[in-house]
Amino acid sequence: MFAFAVRRTAAAIPVLVMVSLIVFFLMRLLPGDIIDLIVSQAQVDVSEEMIAELRRQYGLDKPVYVQYYVWVRQILAGDFGLSFRSHQPVIEIILPRLMPTFQIGLAALFFSSLVAIPLGAISAARPNSIWDRIGAFGTFIGASMPYFLVGGLLIYFVSLQLGLLPPSGFVSPTDDLTDSIRHTIMPAITLALSLTAILIRQARASFSDVLQHPYIRTAYAKGLSETRVVVQHAMKNALLPIVTILGLQLGVILSGAVVTETVFAVPGIGRLLVDSILGRDYPIVQALVLLIAAAVVLATLLVDIVYGVLDPRSSRM
Amino acid sequence: MAGALIVGLLLLVALLAPVLSPYPPDAINYRHLLSPPSTEHLLGTDDLGRDILSRLLYGAQLSLSAGISAVILSVLVGVPVGLVAGYAGGMTDELVMRVFDSIIALPPLVLALTISAVLGPGLVNATIAIAIVAVPTYARLIRGQVLSIKNNDYILAARSVGVSSRAVLFRHILPNVISPIIVQAALGVGFAIILESSLSFIGLGAQPPTSTWGSMVQTSFQYLELAPWFVIAPSVAIFVAVLGANLLGEGLRNFLDPNQKKAAQKT
Repeated sequence: MFAFAVRRTAAAIPVLVMVSLIVFFLMRLLPGDIIDLIVSQAQVDVSEEMIAELRRQYGLDKPVYVQYYVWVRQILAGDFGLSFRSHQPVIEIILPRLMPTFQIGLAALFFSSLVAIPLGAISAARPNSIWDRIGAFGTFIGASMPYFLVGGLLIYFVSLQLGLLPPSGFVSPTDDLTDSIRHTIMPAITLALSLTAILIRQARASFSDVLQHPYIRTAYAKGLSETRVVVQHAMKNALLPIVTILGLQLGVILSGAVVTETVFAVPGIGRLLVDSILGRDYPIVQALVLLIAAAVVLATLLVDIVYGVLDPRSSRM
Repeated sequence: MAGALIVGLLLLVALLAPVLSPYPPDAINYRHLLSPPSTEHLLGTDDLGRDILSRLLYGAQLSLSAGISAVILSVLVGVPVGLVAGYAGGMTDELVMRVFDSIIALPPLVLALTISAVLGPGLVNATIAIAIVAVPTYARLIRGQVLSIKNNDYILAARSVGVSSRAVLFRHILPNVISPIIVQAALGVGFAIILESSLSFIGLGAQPPTSTWGSMVQTSFQYLELAPWFVIAPSVAIFVAVLGANLLGEGLRNFLDPNQKKAAQKT
């Protein structure tokens, strides 16, 4: 088991290195670097010598692989540089933005599990029933709905017409818990939609798999009701792959957060990424892309290891 | 079936946009700003008094062709790369797959946003960005297929009679591994339309005066309270197109390979 965890972790390292290379080179391709920015902001004419001096100061005269090495060392020390626009350390700008994204993402996972797991279970227990059709139909709808359609409809009807929930913004749960929850509901539902589509499929597949086992037939043969068989006997085994699959949805959540946070004006990392790209604040873009990729790689790694612990068969490779 | 019908109708509508549109798509009418749907303007008018239905019909041309071109581009790159990686194996395969693993570590929209930022805003660049995002999907899919058949007897037979590697790859392997790619491509068009509209919604896709469904949504969102139809019309168009592509993909999957359905549901 331990050997499996070590082997799996070792396999993640080259991916992380490759991700850092991709991000590093993408950022070098962006139009306009720090020197252009300084020159454009300077009030006086900047001579060629001064530009050369600046390039030296920022290490841009060094060979590319040296620049990469210096950059990686800084990042490993937690130094992501300064924002072009506010000149604050990038990490200080990112940290307060994590909470809204985290809170809404978690709420979205909660909502979609609440819908998808029972629906998946019924669909699997009664294939081709009305529930199975609703599940299959819901999967297509959920996977095809753009976030701004769901978000737009929710804002229009729930906020503007009925005045039930605030249409935009975010309130920290430590400031006002009720208001924080009110601000979380609509973005979370919007974000949950495509997740639910994925989860219904997973839940159905997982339950179908478990329901094939002989112990389920035994349970039915004992005369137990369908509800008891599905909820008490199948559930425990079916949930394992579903719960682990939740960990793999981090990328879907972060992708969705970009649009959802734009729709609901939530100050999370999705909105920060959009603002930084539009405002050409590349140090923030670079840090965010890198952190997001690292988070996805680590989440996948964690899921694999947890799965290996919970179901030892999967780690015997 | 339903998928093919929806997709076929949408393509037809896009082609016939000049005939079907009741107004020119860019005819500005200051006396009818943001007017609600009526017999005169079936889907209402936008912030410049332009007929939303006509703009949707013309927008279909761009939105659909951006989605389809992105998929064609990524298939053209992804399929040969996956074929070669899977067939060659060894270091080539290892290297290519590690690069794709790391691209996949980036959520699709995050990667598409970053590439669009590098290339600059615009519909063509957005299409290229979406194509790059999707390349690993096709390459990995076809590589897996190649690995599963490359040691089949008929491949070994072809090689042993001296057929060149290129002919083996393209004449003997490719035709046998192409069906999952066709399915994936149909689903991919839906995904590409969603990505393009998201990029446009954020402001990195089509720039005015070019207008896709996504950029219509972007402009309309600030008028959500005044003119909800302005937001709903293009959003629903995107939804219908994506739904059509997804249904078509699913239909093709069942048609091309009935066994595939079981396998797909298990993963």
